[in-house]
Amino acid sequence: MSVIIIGAGPAGCEAAYRLARSGESVELIEKEAEIGGNLNNWYQLFPDRKQAADLKAKLRKNIEHPQIHLHLKSKPVAFSRQGDGTIQLTLDDGALITGKALLVASGFRTFDAHRKEEYGYGIYENVITSVELENAFINHQINTSTGHAPKRIGLIHCVGSRDEKICRLYCSKLCCVTAVKQAIELREMLPEAEILCFYMDMRMFGPGYEEMYREAQEKYNIKFVRGRLSEASEDREKRLIIKVEDTLVGKPLKMTLDLMVLMVGMEPAEGNDQLISMLNLQTAPNGFIQVSDPHSGTNCTHQKGIFVTGCSSSPMNLTDTLTDARSAAVTISEYLNS
Amino acid sequence: MSVIDSLKKDIHYIESLNSCMNCGVCTAICPAAEFYNYDPRIIADTVQRQDEESLEALLKSDTIWYCGECMSCKTRCPRGNTPGGIIMALRRASQEQGWFTESEKGRQQFALKRVLGTNILNYGYCITPDIVKPEMHPEQGLVWEWIYEHRDDVYERTHANYRHSGAGTLRKVDDDSLNELRQIFEVTGGSEFMEKIETYSLRKAEENGLDPESYFLQTYMANNGTHGEEKSNR
Ligand code: SF4
Ligand code: SF4
Ligand code: SF4
Repeated sequence: MSVIIIGAGPAGCEAAYRLARSGESVELIEKEAEIGGNLNNWYQLFPDRKQAADLKAKLRKNIEHPQIHLHLKSKPVAFSRQGDGTIQLTLDDGALITGKALLVASGFRTFDAHRKEEYGYGIYENVITSVELENAFINHQINTSTGHAPKRIGLIHCVGSRDEKICRLYCSKLCCVTAVKQAIELREMLPEAEILCFYMDMRMFGPGYEEMYREAQEKYNIKFVRGRLSEASEDREKRLIIKVEDTLVGKPLKMTLDLMVLMVGMEPAEGNDQLISMLNLQTAPNGFIQVSDPHSGTNCTHQKGIFVTGCSSSPMNLTDTLTDARSAAVTISEYLNS
Repeated sequence: MSVIDSLKKDIHYIESLNSCMNCGVCTAICPAAEFYNYDPRIIADTVQRQDEESLEALLKSDTIWYCGECMSCKTRCPRGNTPGGIIMALRRASQEQGWFTESEKGRQQFALKRVLGTNILNYGYCITPDIVKPEMHPEQGLVWEWIYEHRDDVYERTHANYRHSGAGTLRKVDDDSLNELRQIFEVTGGSEFMEKIETYSLRKAEENGLDPESYFLQTYMANNGTHGEEKSNR
């Protein structure tokens, strides 16, 4: 009997591969037509600027393992247990899958920036999200809506995070470093542009992150303004007029930008609530899946035999997601052998 | 009682400050911050630090009198604070302690009390055209001067019932209603509060060797024009 994994993003793929290598057979379920999840929206990864496509190719190769059965374009619709605790999952194509353990690796979705209406996403043409900027990098083209190379670009931190107004109190962890990485990438494409990051705190916690921040200042001439965006409006040339306070000077600041990039945060994956209720799990205060213990049970849920990994339980960067997936594989192996 | 303890009893304070992360969103949207040396973020931060010395300095400063209480800050704060509401509590504390007489903008409380506070009790209006004398309001310009001189005719042509009994805009408020209004001020502590402004202000006038009328005119007219630039907010 197998281990069932919901979600074939980086966490699901990595856990599947580790479990398969330790001799388990794995049923890997993915709702999209391809694996990779949010990784498909990234161009280069921090801190080493590895191509996201290369990492995905590696994950893809790993899950070609004979013990892994990949179900693409599939969603679980019903869950039940047999008398001996065996897990039964019905997929939307009618298939019935059984397993001794279930791993939730449903990941996250990025914050819908329309909800922060005062930032003008979907209203003003030159407001884009960090995800859209990654796509622009993939296509090697950065232009304003009027077809010009932007002269001044602002990257706005904490969009969809740390904000009571949209009921997202937590920090999404990866957007500070994403902003620094994207600012450097922008500088490489646009040597003359003025590039500014508007931040509250620089949360550069990972190895090499703080160094990258320093390099952004010293080598790439990126400017950092400590202030959170209050609102944006548009002028006749489709430029953006932004209002922030430069809190280190203690003065309100009005500035014109040619392009504004919103560093969107992480939210529980689409269908997260339904999954939680279908599997009888608990919802954490931040809306993600509650783990059984914040130190010793980070991959365990409140249901026996059901485990969780990656951004299903809280925002994580890619490094931590992959580490967490390996940890989940170990946790599940122990469970199966006990 | 310490300043912070008195603030903690004020409903405006209770409802207005959770915790501030110094993001500056309120300041960026604040119309007062655009023109004056006034920063609602620093107000929230100063209050949450609970340092009595800084709080006393704040209550004695011009700073707390720049806010227009427009409450734009309430709509945006990512921590659910309302700096404009904190200001309401600070103003109240300053009025209760008499510390408003220590700053030029604070002393204007006297002018406000004597003008608006008296008007409401005498006429049932904070402002009626009679009261806006052109010589006291040069900012209203020549057009107002003309309207003021011809106010009976002008308001008649606008179909107002100016200064007459009965229904209609600008009507004379009848005695029964006025008495009721005065009673409301008595019962709710409004009159006592206004008396406090009067007492503290007259004390200040005496301290400065001014008769009440000259002091009133001074609070009405004085403007050092620096908009708080000479002082720090903290
Ligand atoms: S990582 Fe940075 S930008 Fe993202 S929510 Fe946290 S503080 Fe804000
Ligand atoms: S209420 Fe006061 S502090 Fe708040 S935005 Fe209006 S003027 Fe500024
Ligand atoms: S918007 Fe709120 S959290 Fe931000 S500085 Fe103002 S009071 Fe503090």
